[in-house]
Amino acid sequence: MSTHTEHQAPQGPEPLDVNDPKLTRFDIVREGARRDDIEIVHYEPQVLPGTKAERRLTRVVAGFFLITGLAATAFLAIYIWWPWKYEAGRGGDKFYTPLLGFTLGVALLGIGFGILTWGKKLLPKEVSIQDRHEGTVDAEGRTITGQTMLYMADELGVKRRPLLGISLLAGLAPVAAVAAAPLVGGLISQPHKNNQMFTTGFATPEGGQRIRLVREDGRPVRPADVSVGGQITVFPGIDHGVSNKHADSPTLLIHLRDADAQESRRANERVGHGDYMWGNYAAFSKICTHAGCPASLYEQQTNRLLCPCHQSQFLITDNARPVFGPASRRLPQLPIEVDSEGFFVAKSDFTETVGPDFWERP
Amino acid sequence: MTSDNDRRRGLLARLRERPAARSRGRRRLGAAVRLIAALMLAGGAYTVFAPGAQAQDNPQLTGAAAEGKALFDVSCVTCHGRNAQGVEGRGPSLIGVGAASVEFQVSSGRMPLARQEAQAHRKPPVFTDEQTRQLAQYIQELGGGPVVPQGDDLHEDGNIAAGGELFRINCSQCHAFGAGGGALSSGKFAPSLHPATDRQIYAAMLSGPQNMPVFGDNQLRPEQKADIIAYIQETLKHDQDPGGFNLGRYGPSTEGLAIFLIGIVALVFASLWIAGKS
Repeated sequence: MSTHTEHQAPQGPEPLDVNDPKLTRFDIVREGARRDDIEIVHYEPQVLPGTKAERRLTRVVAGFFLITGLAATAFLAIYIWWPWKYEAGRGGDKFYTPLLGFTLGVALLGIGFGILTWGKKLLPKEVSIQDRHEGTVDAEGRTITGQTMLYMADELGVKRRPLLGISLLAGLAPVAAVAAAPLVGGLISQPHKNNQMFTTGFATPEGGQRIRLVREDGRPVRPADVSVGGQITVFPGIDHGVSNKHADSPTLLIHLRDADAQESRRANERVGHGDYMWGNYAAFSKICTHAGCPASLYEQQTNRLLCPCHQSQFLITDNARPVFGPASRRLPQLPIEVDSEGFFVAKSDFTETVGPDFWERP
Repeated sequence: MTSDNDRRRGLLARLRERPAARSRGRRRLGAAVRLIAALMLAGGAYTVFAPGAQAQDNPQLTGAAAEGKALFDVSCVTCHGRNAQGVEGRGPSLIGVGAASVEFQVSSGRMPLARQEAQAHRKPPVFTDEQTRQLAQYIQELGGGPVVPQGDDLHEDGNIAAGGELFRINCSQCHAFGAGGGALSSGKFAPSLHPATDRQIYAAMLSGPQNMPVFGDNQLRPEQKADIIAYIQETLKHDQDPGGFNLGRYGPSTEGLAIFLIGIVALVFASLWIAGKS
């Protein structure tokens, strides 16, 4: 490349007069490039105008754009008139979204292919060389700029009167915060409102009744409802208990076999949860302590509860401690009992936090 | 002590004549001996002629159950024991599992088990429907247990929408939302529901085969079971997947594979072409 340190190296003897009527448009373009230190070395069309090759390529590019137009029109037509309401069995509605996707994809691909073919095949080949600027401005210009900046700083008077500068910064800083406050504030919500990270829907209200375990349709559960080796998903028997408002509350009520239940109770006693089971029934939170998916794949013979997202396995007969997978904390156990009418109730809330770790978790 | 005179008188005469009076003690002793002899004679006669009474260890089985027992004795006792009490390390006890359990396992070909492994696999059944029914009847009569209701169509009055809700809360976590099945721990899996018949689905819910939990009639009433079966058989099996191709209904695994093998490769080649020298 050029080893010139000067600015005007490849310009040639003198600049061209761009108003000269003898110059072609390309000459003027080349002159303009030259004044930016770009030398157009090689410029030649790939297909000569009027040849069969050019006509063919033109038709190809036009074809792509035509496909784009047709596909986009088809998209609109499908969007408006294709059946989209769900119907059981086979039907056109099952192809609504795939067709929309297909036509949109074809339209976008058509644009892409058209433009790329135009650029790669129809446009002339060009090789240009740009001189690398060494980056330095001339010495006098540097001196002038430097002195001007220093002079302006002096005239502002900040050096002599520091109070000006300090008050400016101190006053403007909160203004920046004011500009950001509505944006950031809208994103923040209090995570500890009502102590919600540490309580679930099963917490017994002050002076109120213990919360019943209910099914998804709200009916309370009796011990006889769950067979040996069976499990049922239960929710707190409160308003909106079976809704996202209490998404941390779904619990798995399991009826263990005798031998497993004894093992489970011994494990409970080891960690001070000796009275959390009722008979052969144990209830564990379904919210996986790894990332919060519902761990509800219960294997009745191995007594393992599997979470489908990242395959954590919890051993129910050992306080639901994780025996496989990425979870590191056992599932919280709900202390349960049967009330005077024979339905399951939660003796109290979970005594460990439900779900994945969070910052304030002890 | 007979004298010569007595002998001449003859046997009968001698027998007829009254014996000499004996002492009281000797009379009593003789009576006792005669009593004991008589008792022994009576007892002996009874023992010889009385019918041989054995302990009743073969329960009275109905015809179908007797046929089932014959099949059982040939095919099942190796692992389940002569009286279905189970063999340690090979097969569990079948007392109390009921006809439902047998119907599910045998009609889906899982039993007889091909080999001991993590889970029994569905395979072509060894026994015909008739034989399956007989085996089920035998086990039912032997130890009782849950029974599948009569009939081949168990979802006639099923409410598909309710069945869908019940399926999603009870079944979809293991069997997947499209009933394509899913993995469990250590080589076990929840199988696809597509080859299952109404009776097999009902029997599986009721009996909880292997690691599937038991959904007794108190938890899912027979009507609710019918709803679930209706949802599976009508919607899940006959509903067309949006777009037509479901990649096996395994969800993210096959979808991810498709995206990487087809989509990403195409994108890579496209970028190479776009950026390549023209």
